[in-house]
Amino acid sequence: MTEKVNLTWNGKAIQAEKGSNLLKAALDNGIEVAHYCYHAGLSVAGVCRMCMVEQDGVPRPFPSCNATCGEGMVVRNDTPKIKSAVETTLQFHLLNHPLDCPVCDQAGECGLQDYYMKHGVYDSQMIDKKVHKEKVQDIGKNVMLDAERCILCSRCTRFTEEVTKTNELGILNRGDHAEITVNEQLKNDYAQNLVDICPVGALTSKDFRFKQRVWFLEEVQTTCIGCETGCAVKVSENKNGAFRVKPIYDHDVNGHWMCDDGRNIYKHVSSPTRLASATENINGLFVPADELAIQATLKGKKAKYILSTGLTVGEYANFFKAIKGSKAEVALYTLPNLGVEFDGLLKRGDKNPNLRGAKAAFEAAGFDHTQAALDKMLGSIASSDAVFVVVPEILYNEDHFNTLIKKVEKAGTRIALTPGETLGTLRSFNYLLPVPSFLEKNGEILNYQGAARTLRAGLSYGETSKDVSYYGKWVNV
Amino acid sequence: MKDVANYKDYALLSYHHIPGVHNLEIFERAGGYEMMKACFLKDPEAIKEEVKNSGLRGRGGAGFPTGVKWGFFSKDRNAKKYLLCNADESEPGTFKDRYLMEKNPHILIEGMIISAWALGTQKGYIYIRGEFYQQAVILERALKEAYAKGYLGKNIMGKGFDFDLYVHRGAGAYICGEETGMISSLEGKKGQPKLKPPFPAIKGYRGLPTMVNNVESLAAVPWIMRMGAAAYKQWGTEKSPGTKLFSISGDVNKPGVIEVPLSTTLKEIIEIHCGGMRNGNALKAVIPGGSSAPVFNAEDSYSVKMDYEDVAAKGSMLGSGAIIVLDETRNMGDVLKWTLEFYHHESCGQCTPCREGTGWLESVFKRRDTGKSQKSDIALLDKTAASMRGQTICALADAAAMPTQGMIKVFREELEQYVTTTGKK
Repeated sequence: MTEKVNLTWNGKAIQAEKGSNLLKAALDNGIEVAHYCYHAGLSVAGVCRMCMVEQDGVPRPFPSCNATCGEGMVVRNDTPKIKSAVETTLQFHLLNHPLDCPVCDQAGECGLQDYYMKHGVYDSQMIDKKVHKEKVQDIGKNVMLDAERCILCSRCTRFTEEVTKTNELGILNRGDHAEITVNEQLKNDYAQNLVDICPVGALTSKDFRFKQRVWFLEEVQTTCIGCETGCAVKVSENKNGAFRVKPIYDHDVNGHWMCDDGRNIYKHVSSPTRLASATENINGLFVPADELAIQATLKGKKAKYILSTGLTVGEYANFFKAIKGSKAEVALYTLPNLGVEFDGLLKRGDKNPNLRGAKAAFEAAGFDHTQAALDKMLGSIASSDAVFVVVPEILYNEDHFNTLIKKVEKAGTRIALTPGETLGTLRSFNYLLPVPSFLEKNGEILNYQGAARTLRAGLSYGETSKDVSYYGKWVNV
Repeated sequence: MKDVANYKDYALLSYHHIPGVHNLEIFERAGGYEMMKACFLKDPEAIKEEVKNSGLRGRGGAGFPTGVKWGFFSKDRNAKKYLLCNADESEPGTFKDRYLMEKNPHILIEGMIISAWALGTQKGYIYIRGEFYQQAVILERALKEAYAKGYLGKNIMGKGFDFDLYVHRGAGAYICGEETGMISSLEGKKGQPKLKPPFPAIKGYRGLPTMVNNVESLAAVPWIMRMGAAAYKQWGTEKSPGTKLFSISGDVNKPGVIEVPLSTTLKEIIEIHCGGMRNGNALKAVIPGGSSAPVFNAEDSYSVKMDYEDVAAKGSMLGSGAIIVLDETRNMGDVLKWTLEFYHHESCGQCTPCREGTGWLESVFKRRDTGKSQKSDIALLDKTAASMRGQTICALADAAAMPTQGMIKVFREELEQYVTTTGKK
């Protein structure tokens, strides 16, 4: 247990860990302090000079990001001296910043805009020529750089230096001609974090650019289902669908970051080719069908189930509850490992979001979740009447899944329950049923640590149900 | 008054008249390295105490007492530590270290060996300004001689003390004269100052304790040891003891480097040491401490005593002792323009107020070139400069703001006239 110290910030008594960052202590206690270069996940640069404070007994103002908390510190950043310093420093920040907010993707969540509303002078004295730098640079990995908008807070260079240790970015030149230089195209798997940490519109995401204005978006806090790490993320979405995924700070799991693969997990949710309602395969043509009618035709048939590892703990429980007492056979399709087991940061080779939850549910219900059990089921698949396959939501390796589909083709009636995109190989199935994606269901999944991670349903998408017992509904046949 | 400008009476330059004193042999014949030998018989703490008692103030510009700075340094003699000599003399108007090193490199080396012994550092670097190629060559040669004599290297003078000294040439950035900028540069990084705290004495080069001292400060150490702190203090004032090198440039008859006790009047320096004003012109202004010091008008120039307190009391700073003398033919607008151009060019670009501020000061002051200038530009310049002060990691923003504000204070009318007349196209 670390020692706590008491300090006063603008007259408000706050508590913080002894020796912890002074600026962080203020931010953690809900005190607003303007800052650009400070980021809790990176080293201290102390260059934006926005977080200046005055401390009783210290002659000169100093940046709070480079100070540590001590017992009895009395700190203020609302004195006239500091207020005017912040105003003028913001003027300096804006001096050579282009006035392209109307076409800038960062507008609405831009540090410059936010602080200008609060600390702006609103009376421009700038009639001189601005310093021009290169705009619209594609620096790889879906990141775009606009050097003119950059305020040289150096967060991005520190990120590539300290977090990914790949050093793709640096700062070239001096004075007001300094700019971010791309030593080589981004090659790390965490490049999209650069877009998040950029406090202005210098680094924007090619994937998100010009798709939505941020003030039209709502954020849903959920969990990434891209691998077994289970990073805490927020998905920006509105009635037109989901648009981007950003990490949320989670001390125990992902810290401040998430990997680039996780940025794509939203894509199938509002994809135009996503299955919207139950369909029946009539001579190769998929036509909308009534779910109740499909249930009726399957009644009494001997069913086999191949579940994916993407269901929530609640969904597994409901499923096994529903099939209890029936003669149904159940097996688990586990996604193959991809890449290294663990890249040292966040990305894990095991791409099953809820493998631990699945295993626990299988064991609790007395079923075998191993690959051997799946192989055994596939061996006798031709003798079965109806096979239900739950399609994994994120498929990194489609070929691996398609070999399973090929084997299932021998079965009588084949039903696919798909939360994601409709795969071409599913054309051999008799029925396709939509199930909720991770953004449409509430529940928990167990990540690599066995920790429960929460999935939250966002705004409603189309017709898909949010009922977690949806899978169980298909069992009483 | 007779011409009292001479080389012999004082300390630092007292060997400069000896031909070939840059050779170790001649330097030793004149009494060089004797102090080093004597110091090796002394307790390191006693040397530190002597330097502290001498009241020697850092000659790089800030004037922080060297002995006090040494007091912050780790006393663990076995710990890995560095001694770094700041020879990146880049302040416009300053050329004293260059003169000191090129004529008498061994006095610096001797000073560094004594300091290293006192501080217990095993390695030292002389970070020399990139443009000082010739001086670097001279230093390298002197180092070789000192190594050959066994004054550097392993087990110096049989005391079981190792000290290696290297010359490192900078790449021509003014900011690398700032001690943490210098450390960044020495580490192979972009020459940008580092946040303080931690100070280099605690965490410097490669994250290890590093003592950074100016050439002149280190070269003064053998003299302090030779004559004793009390004798050293006979010169100068209580708060500014000792002698100081001044580099005088501008409109005087005999510009150059002189050594005089601190608290010598500027009038004496100009009239006697420098042989008076060029062509008998009237004095207009003096920049007393390098380009970053606020300017003095003629009246202040003739009354100021060149020590840290008196120069500060009159609103400027002694800095590195670079006296730039300007006569009546000079336009202060041009002087400020060149000053601003320099600081715009040299800002490292790290802290926003300096990065943007130095550029903007120049743009505002040069609005006359685009026909956009107005009288109020001077007020804007003053306000902008004021808002840059005390806002950055290092003192470069202040170094740009101080002469700007100083110039506006003293020559406001002339500057207003300057900005409102159209510049050359």
